[in-house]
Order: sequence, then structure tokens, then C-alpha cells
Amino acid sequence: MKQIAVFGYNRLSFEAISRLDKEFYRIVVIDHDPVKVALARENGFETANIDFRSDDDLRLAGIGGHIDTLFCFFDTDSENVFLTLSARALDPSLNIIAIVDSPESAEKLLAAGANKIIDPYEICGRKIHDMLKRPDITEIFDHTVFGRHDLHLAEVAIPDNSFLENMHVSQLELRSQYNLLLIGIVNKKVSDRLHFVGEEIDRRLNVGDILVILGPSREIRAFKKDVENEYCKI
Amino acid sequence: MFAKLVVYCAYYLKAADWYKASKAFFFDLLENRQSRRKKYFDATMIMLLVLSVIFLIYDIEHTDSKMGGYFELAILMVFIVEYLLRGWIYSDTYKIVIEEYEKALYLNLPFKLSGIYKKLIAKDLEYISSVFAVIDVLAILPSYRPLDILRIFIIFRLFKLFRYSDSAKLFADALASKRFELTTLLIFTCFLVFIASVSIYMFEYQNNASINTLFDAFYWTIVTLATVGFGDITPQTAGGRWVTIFLILASLGVLSFFTSILIAAFSEKMLSVRESRTYAALEHYDNFIIICGFGRVGQEIARHLQEEQSRFVVIDKSPEKVAAAKSRGYLAIENDASNNAVLLNAGICRGASAILCITGDDVVNVYITLTSRHLNKGLRIISRANRHDNVNKLYQAGANQVIRPFEIAGMLAAEFVGQPVAFEAISGILQSQSDIVMESVLVSEKSALEDRNIGQLDLEQRKLTLLGVISANPIHLKHKNKYPVNQQHFYFNPACQFILRRGDILVLLGRKYGIDHFRDQVEQRRLFARRSA
Repeated sequence: MKQIAVFGYNRLSFEAISRLDKEFYRIVVIDHDPVKVALARENGFETANIDFRSDDDLRLAGIGGHIDTLFCFFDTDSENVFLTLSARALDPSLNIIAIVDSPESAEKLLAAGANKIIDPYEICGRKIHDMLKRPDITEIFDHTVFGRHDLHLAEVAIPDNSFLENMHVSQLELRSQYNLLLIGIVNKKVSDRLHFVGEEIDRRLNVGDILVILGPSREIRAFKKDVENEYCKI
Repeated sequence: MFAKLVVYCAYYLKAADWYKASKAFFFDLLENRQSRRKKYFDATMIMLLVLSVIFLIYDIEHTDSKMGGYFELAILMVFIVEYLLRGWIYSDTYKIVIEEYEKALYLNLPFKLSGIYKKLIAKDLEYISSVFAVIDVLAILPSYRPLDILRIFIIFRLFKLFRYSDSAKLFADALASKRFELTTLLIFTCFLVFIASVSIYMFEYQNNASINTLFDAFYWTIVTLATVGFGDITPQTAGGRWVTIFLILASLGVLSFFTSILIAAFSEKMLSVRESRTYAALEHYDNFIIICGFGRVGQEIARHLQEEQSRFVVIDKSPEKVAAAKSRGYLAIENDASNNAVLLNAGICRGASAILCITGDDVVNVYITLTSRHLNKGLRIISRANRHDNVNKLYQAGANQVIRPFEIAGMLAAEFVGQPVAFEAISGILQSQSDIVMESVLVSEKSALEDRNIGQLDLEQRKLTLLGVISANPIHLKHKNKYPVNQQHFYFNPACQFILRRGDILVLLGRKYGIDHFRDQVEQRRLFARRSA
């Protein structure tokens, strides 16, 4: 189970938390404003009222300890930068996701050690632009992958001793076997870059490669199960 | 008896279609700024004016040239006809007659023509005394040969240009807006000129050879007042020199006051000049997008649209944001987008294909959405809701799509935690950051794709991945993996036997040029023709 600390309680963090599956994540909402903490508690979230400016308080909240992922969702960029900096100092392997208000702060946040920057305005602008220019595709994604319908993107890592090891991509036959689409493969040994299928020459899969697939969740579950089962053969 | 005839005529004109149509035609031609006809008409008139002045200059050296005379006559006729037509469309005579007649009927008074005459004459005088009408007369009069002295006034014809060019009109408007200040200044200057001319006349009349009349004194005053000072007339007496000193000091004040009034008037007008220029630029476009609100979201959209060279206009209330938009070379209007007139001027009913209500304030967004929907029923409206509770209000106000920035960002954050690789992949595709894009290809009527099944498309060899098919066609409903999207269905991962029908949309993943190439081939119908041959 992953431990997530969400700093700053606002509309954005509320949306993010409600999207996360409670089964897999333990989420704690942290804010220095007692009013917001009370509000979060009312909404049924686990909360903590600590001051992010103090390293001791952060340690108390579990940073540098059991927390794997940190959301810096404060409204001002300076607070997010400060929190990112402190948290990165406490835990070099922490996964830090920060939102950014003005675009020039993005670089500062990255320099402070954030893993992922989210710019709500930029995303929104791009989205509206997509709505204007490619309405059908945007709509499909809104309704399926990002929406209520049961169509999801998933990533599957190839474990040791899997039947997939040393198999060629073209032999996978995900389309007919599982009703899944293979979007791409990340060859972890080489880089984090995603290679799209169709793009690449037919290559052999290695342990540790990550397959990015699209399909209904039932099929994804079935595929994941088979991948982990070393005796299964297609 | 005669009165009855007049009333009858008035009612006849009111009912007559030809009368209305012709009046509307001439209104379009002469006064309606939106109409195309006026533009051509104005251009023609400007040409005529310039030609007539050229002929005037020609005439100075070559008297009695025959061609010039005929041409002059023709121009004169055009001007007279124009003058009369403008007088005609200035007011509706029959309306006045009918109004008076009905008033008389209602009050049980005898209907008298004299009252009507009075009103008509008042209206006519109103027209005749309007600035442009006076200029028109000035342009016509000099052609009357017995008044040959007036020929110099033919130059005044150039003033007629004011009528045909908006920029000149703006200049006049700027001056008109400062009427009070200018009048005050004028009165003061008149006093100054009067006092200075009379006193210099008094002092210098006997002692100065060049000042012999009051007109000489007046001429000297003006030359000095304007700080021109030719020096052809100079004061000789001590008294005259004192007058000169005072006049020069006073004229410095007058001139600086005058200049400052002009500058203020023009800088005030500058804003509306720019705005009208923006509107004029928009008139040439069709299919442009109106962006209301130039915050972060608006800037992002504008940047993308600019990259693709799509047309758009930004409307924002804040001067700084409009300045920012203009510095990037966008068309921008500094005004309130919830104002009907602003949206209409921006072309919401003319060329706009979509309007984006994306200010940071939901109240404003709802109001703009409502206004736009009211003005244009078919327009595409995309609105931004900053709070969740306002989404439904925006839909009720008439938005086609509502977007919530914080929801999308929150969702992406959640996606990223779960599956960073998949997230990067999909966002890369959706944002067209990588070479790989997702695009749709339409199965058009009688195209190479129609009635083919998916297995025949040979997509794998083309290095394309088919994600699915969007279709509203009920014939496909038997297939599995369908997801309702609005009124259509999205068929995910369709089987090889899936037969494409016209109107279906293929959603493909692949390199941009790969998809473009595929689309081109489909359009040219070569793809299968070559194969079957």
C-alpha cells in the first residue's frame, strides 16, 4: 500500500484524492490552516495539522519515513518550492508532485527536486484547444480513459521468469487474446523513453520492460495475472 | 381636399414595398457602414473628388478646355444627386404626415397642413445645417459660373473626403469631443486678436509705412500670435513694441493650451481607433474564435491557436492583459465581453465559430455564456467552471462544453501517481509532444474505406494502431466493446470483421505523417484501386 501525503487542501487536492483508489493508497491531508484541516476531516479524509516550515513537523508526518509520494498543492508557488526543497532534503527517493501557478516557477520547482510539475492552467488551455480542434478524440478520452466508462490505460512490468521474457512483440497477440491494445513499451535498461508500437522493429522483451496497454479493466486484470504466472503459456 | 391627398399619399408610401426597398438600397449605399455597397460607393466618390481637383489645377493653366468642362458638369450632377438623396433618406416625410394626421384624429382637431410644413422644414433645416451637408453644398456651389470667385472653394471639395473615410471622421470626432475647451479658447483668442490689432493699429498707423489699414494690423497680429513672425511688418514705436511683447507672451499660452487640448483629444480617441481597427480586421475573417478572458488559460489557448495560424480575438477588461495580448501580436479588444454590443462587434453572429468563456470568475463566465447563447443559438460555447457547483449553471446558460481546470489537474495528478509511464505516454500523445499523435480519419461517402472491413486496411504495415471506431450508425451495435459517447458509440478495438460505413470515424495512433499519408491515400481512392488492378 502506497502512502501519500497531500499538502494543502483545496479544490485541486480534493479532486486528486477522490480519484485515487482507497484500496491501494493511504492518504493523509496536511495543512497548516486549522480551518482547512477541519474541512478535510469533515469530508472524511485522514488529516494532520502541522506546519510545513518545520523539518521536525515534516518528519513527524512521515516524510523521510513511511511516505512514498508527496503532493505539494499549496496555492502559492513559494510555499510549494519551500516544501519541495525541505522534503527532498529529508528523503532523496521521495516522489514529489507539485502544482505550479505561474510558468516561471516550474523550473524552480524542478530545481528544488520535484519529480512532476502540474500546471492546471496550461493543461486547461491545452484541453480547450483540443476540444476546438479535435473534438471527437478529446471526447472519447474524456468519456473512457479519464471518465466513467470502463476503459483504462495500464502499465505492466515484466517480472522475472515470466512467459513474456524473450518473446517477440509481434507474438504477443494482445489484440485477439485479451482484447487489449499495446500502446508502447519502455525498455527500462536503456532509458525511460516510451517506444510506441508500430514504430519499432520487432524486438524481444526483457525482464523489467514495461508494457503500456489500453483496454477494459477486466482484461487488464486477466493479463496482469497471466504475466505473473510463470507456467502460463499462450 | 389637398390635405386628404397628402395623407393618402403618405399611407400609400407606407404600404409600398418598392418605396421601402429603394430607400433601404440608398441607405445601404450612402449611410450603412456595414454594407459592401457603401465601400464601393465611397471609393468611387473619393476618386471623383481627386479627379475634380486635378482638373482644377489643370484648368489654371489651360483655360476653357472642353473636356474639363464636361467632366466638371458630370461631377456636379453626381454631387447634386448625392446631396438630394442624402436629404431624402435623412427623414421619412410620410411618417411625419401620418403621425400628425393620427394625432389630429385622436384629439378630434382639424387636420392642418401648416403644422406639417413647419415640421418638415424644421427637419430639412436640420439636415441642411448639419456639418456634412454644409460641406456638400460648398463642394457644389463653386461650379456656378457667375460666382467665379468661389472657384477657389472647389478645394473645399476635398473636405468631402471626410464623408468617405472613417479615419478622417475620427479626426473630426476627436475635435468635436473637445468642443467646450476649444470654444473657450477661441473666444479668448478672438479677444486677444481684437485688442492686439486695434492697439497696434492705434500706435503704428501714422508711424509705420506698412500698417495702413486695420486689416494689416489684423494680419500682423495673427502672424505674431502663431509665433510665425515673418518680419514683413515690424512695430516701430515703443508702444507698438510693448504690444508685441504682451502679444507674444499671451500667444505662447494660447498655443500651448491649444496643443494640449489636441493631444488630449487624440489620445482619448486613440483607444477607440485601435478598437475599431480590430473590428475592421475581424470583418475579413470567418471561422475565428473569440476568447473571453486572457488569463493563464486564455494565453495558453492563444499560443496554440497562433502556432496553428488559426484566427482568434481576445476580449478582456483589464488594460494590462490586453496590452500583453497585443504585444504578442494577437487581435485584442479591451472591453467587457458580457456586453451585447462588444460581442456583436466582435462578430459573434457573423464569422465566429466558437466562443470561449474562460475568465477566472464563474459569475462572469455564466453571464458571458448566457449573453452569447442569447445572441447566437448555433454557436459553440466552451466555458470554464472554477467551482464544481457552477457546472450545471453553465450548461443551463447554454454552454456546449464545460471544463474544470482543477478537476483535470487533480485527475492528472492522481493518474500520475498510479501509472507514471502510461500517464506520460497518453499525455504525450494528447499534447502532441511526441512524434506520435492520435488522429481521426473520416470514412467519407464513396471513399476507399467505405464498406471495407478492418482486416483489409492493412494498418499494421502502415505502422498505425487502430484504437477504435466512432460511429452513430446503429448497424454496428451488435459489436462488443462499445462505449456510449454523447449520441454516438465508440467501438474499442474492433474485430477484423468490423465493416466500415460512411460517417464512421477511425481513431488512429501513429506518426503524424503516417496518418496524413493514409488519409491522403484514402481521399484519392488509389489505395484499393491499385490493388485490385
